[in-house]
Amino acid sequence: MNNFDATRRSAMKLLAAGAGVLAAPSILRPAFAQSKVVNITTYDKFVPQSFIDQFQKDTGIEVRIRLTDDQGKQYNLLTAEGAAPSTDIVTVTGHRLSQFMKSNLLATLDTGRLKNWDKLAAAYKGAPQLTVGGKTFGVPLLAGFEGLVRNTEYAKASDSWSIMFDDENKNLTSYIVSDFLSIVMRYQGNDGDYVTYGDKPDVAQAATNQARDFLIQHKDKVRKYYDAGSELQQMFVNEDIYLAQAWSGPAAKLVMDGHPIEISVPKEGTFGFLYSFNIVNNAPNADAAYTFLDAILSSPEIGAAMTRQSGFSSAFEGVDKVLDDKERAALSLPPEQVERIQFFSSVNRDMKNEMIDKAAAEIKAA
Amino acid sequence: MLDTTTQPPSVGLSMVPHYAGWIGRTARSGLYRHTIGLLVESRRVRLAVLAGVPLVWIAMLHIGPILQMANISLLANYPPQPDKSSEYTLANYALFFSDRLYFLPFVRSLIFAAVVTISTLVIVYPVAYYVAKVVQPKNRMRALLLLLIPFWAGELIRTFSVIMLLANRGALNVLLREFGFIDRPIPMLYTFFSLSFGVIYLLALYMLLPLYSAIEKIPTPLIHAAADLGAGPLQRFRRVILPLSKDGIVSGCSLVYLTAVGVFAAPLLLGGPNAVIFPEVIATLFHGSNDKWPEGAAFSMIMLVVSLTTVGLFMRVVGGRSVRLM
Amino acid sequence: MRNYFNDLPKSALGASYWIFAVYLVLPLALMTAMSFKDANFIAFPIGNWTLSWYSKVVQDKQFLEASLYSIGIALATTVSATIIGVWIALLVSAENIWGKAVIFALACLPAVVPGLINAISMRIFIRAVDIPTGTFAIILAHTVHAVPFVVIMVLTRLRSMPANLVDAARDLGADPFIAFLRVTIPYLMPALFGGMIFCVLTSIDDFVRTFFLGGYQPTLPMLIFAKVQGGMSPEINAMATIVLVVTTAIGLYAEHFTRRSRS
Repeated sequence: MNNFDATRRSAMKLLAAGAGVLAAPSILRPAFAQSKVVNITTYDKFVPQSFIDQFQKDTGIEVRIRLTDDQGKQYNLLTAEGAAPSTDIVTVTGHRLSQFMKSNLLATLDTGRLKNWDKLAAAYKGAPQLTVGGKTFGVPLLAGFEGLVRNTEYAKASDSWSIMFDDENKNLTSYIVSDFLSIVMRYQGNDGDYVTYGDKPDVAQAATNQARDFLIQHKDKVRKYYDAGSELQQMFVNEDIYLAQAWSGPAAKLVMDGHPIEISVPKEGTFGFLYSFNIVNNAPNADAAYTFLDAILSSPEIGAAMTRQSGFSSAFEGVDKVLDDKERAALSLPPEQVERIQFFSSVNRDMKNEMIDKAAAEIKAA
Repeated sequence: MLDTTTQPPSVGLSMVPHYAGWIGRTARSGLYRHTIGLLVESRRVRLAVLAGVPLVWIAMLHIGPILQMANISLLANYPPQPDKSSEYTLANYALFFSDRLYFLPFVRSLIFAAVVTISTLVIVYPVAYYVAKVVQPKNRMRALLLLLIPFWAGELIRTFSVIMLLANRGALNVLLREFGFIDRPIPMLYTFFSLSFGVIYLLALYMLLPLYSAIEKIPTPLIHAAADLGAGPLQRFRRVILPLSKDGIVSGCSLVYLTAVGVFAAPLLLGGPNAVIFPEVIATLFHGSNDKWPEGAAFSMIMLVVSLTTVGLFMRVVGGRSVRLM
Repeated sequence: MRNYFNDLPKSALGASYWIFAVYLVLPLALMTAMSFKDANFIAFPIGNWTLSWYSKVVQDKQFLEASLYSIGIALATTVSATIIGVWIALLVSAENIWGKAVIFALACLPAVVPGLINAISMRIFIRAVDIPTGTFAIILAHTVHAVPFVVIMVLTRLRSMPANLVDAARDLGADPFIAFLRVTIPYLMPALFGGMIFCVLTSIDDFVRTFFLGGYQPTLPMLIFAKVQGGMSPEINAMATIVLVVTTAIGLYAEHFTRRSRS
């Protein structure tokens, strides 16, 4: 009758063994703060194993990678750790940078300690995008933008964001609500990055509401609001959507893989951002972190590895030569479209985040 | 009955039945006899042994971390920022009740969890009954194993597997098109259907095992007797089987309901643009680009209190007589 | 012997079982099929088939390490959560003490808190009490999360336990502890079995707690989430398939073993 009789004995042995586990003290004391270690929180395959092996051999510094998949989690972890971080280097995207800085989580970068600091590609030399008030906050790794992505077999080409609201594409589009709100504000002729709204909250609110109401009005075009790049890729591959606003990286990976996908920057323009390695405030191994960052800058191969993994263009010099034709093609944009990209500013972030987050919640709930 | 209370522990030794193996060796040891003597002698000692570890555990590890959250939920700002005040406030709680933006997803979550729970119960009950009572005992483990194994693939993989089934170019649409039933794919993904399909897919096990454990222990002769007395299948189910499996239904429903209220990843991946639920609202407050930890913490506390009240109601049903265990 | 179930809708029950089994297995069969796809993203049609993803995964040292690490954490979690869970269930059901409902509700607390909140509050908590992050912290958090499942499973079974079972054992001379080991625990076995499965599953599937409390060694879910971030490739399907095949083999072996030892 009872099926479990036979396992009784072994189960009881297990129970007995458990007492030992509970009684055991914390066996593993942390080894975060050691002179010969650098702790990095980053994405899978961003730092190639071959580079790590070489670096460890050359410097004797052990590289420890904590894999992350999401900016929000990384931020929350660092915040929860407070003044005693367990990581030295984090990987931050441009639109998150101000949040990290405001919460006092990042250390300023002493660029004088990086011998290879000038090995950044022309557009990112000196990292003006990561410099606030004369202080630099990170090493630029990758550059991306928020593009209009379409399935070339089903959706017709367009030089305007207006195609996202075309009745033809009912139930066939997707976007990240908060990101697309900024773009729609721009599409409507307003300042989607809130740089000029510093002392004009009422103007900002009006512009935000205008975009919000427009998106609510066109909610029937939306198949899904998404968050992660992998979701977007799967929706395109499965033909659940034909059109989307998306970060260039995940879309470029589809192009590299031969899918009928095209990324463009419509004439109303869009926003660009950087991925960067940033040293954490109170980093337990700051010296090792500098050694690591310096080593990384010296190698176009690392830039290429990051590009292949993420689909974003590298900010390092000479990476182009390492990539193959298909990869280069997926990353290239016509020059007139490149000029439509405006990098996210670091001004007036509080107002922007506050208003955008609220409006995004309202759009989702509508 | 063995009355240890009036005898010194050492005298009791002669009366200990013979046990084999380590139980026997332990049972004969002096220290053990002494401890057991104490245990039986005094209700207070017995209570201390029974309550000590659980109460310390609950106080330390169930309540402790949540108190940290409760503290944050009352702060005006967190993480602490030099230029902002960090005094205590109730504003974060007030926000929930003042804005239907947050209230609606909350109600939606509760209703959604209830619908999922009832559907899961209806779907899984006959399955659990079949495995526990119809399948030959020697094949029972195998029948159970077939249902268990899919759950080992992990939540993320299982969610993606639902996507591969229901997508516009998923298996179902491809098949329907292949056989000429449809010309254009039916959009099944990112709807309420796909969401329920996926969440039930993820949580069915939490219903199956309690139901199985409850139905399995219903004495089969009892069902036979009911049949001999002329009860039809429906009557037997209503008058014998259902009441006797009530425990399993209650615990299965508790598990599924509690998990479904807090479920987060699956709705994010499978739900459509109109399916925002409360855990997603909370996660957005934490993950969002603005620092909203206090609001998120306050909303979690609200969710927690409501869920706990529900658990309290379950307790009314689950509770009742106490059982002699030792 | 007369078959009492003749008039019961036995075939309907059988059908419900098999439909349910197909519902559970079919989507995963699709995922398994995708692991043979010769492309970087999963989609129908499969087109060219390949075994290369498997050879890649099998040679992936990180995958093996992460799997073993996850299994170790899951086992430790199961053992500790079962002990604590049974203990709490005994307390709630055994004595007529004040506040039973409160204790039960608090015991269930970790199950109703969304994972993210649980993880963050746990992270702040262990910092406050000075427990380092790492394996021990992960096991602690997983155990806290798994305890309610054991409590609920065990409690419902306990409630239906005939009171005279233990009395009989005591009459035969068993002391309370022996009676508990030899009577109560065996009676609880189906519930314990279910509870342990929940423990292993919640632990081995957990991502967010592990991320917040872990060190620099990835568990299997951390590895898989990190890989999915770069795109859902058949490599991940191959990993999942290997996990499923190994679990099935273990399950069948255990089943075979219990069957033999019973006969």
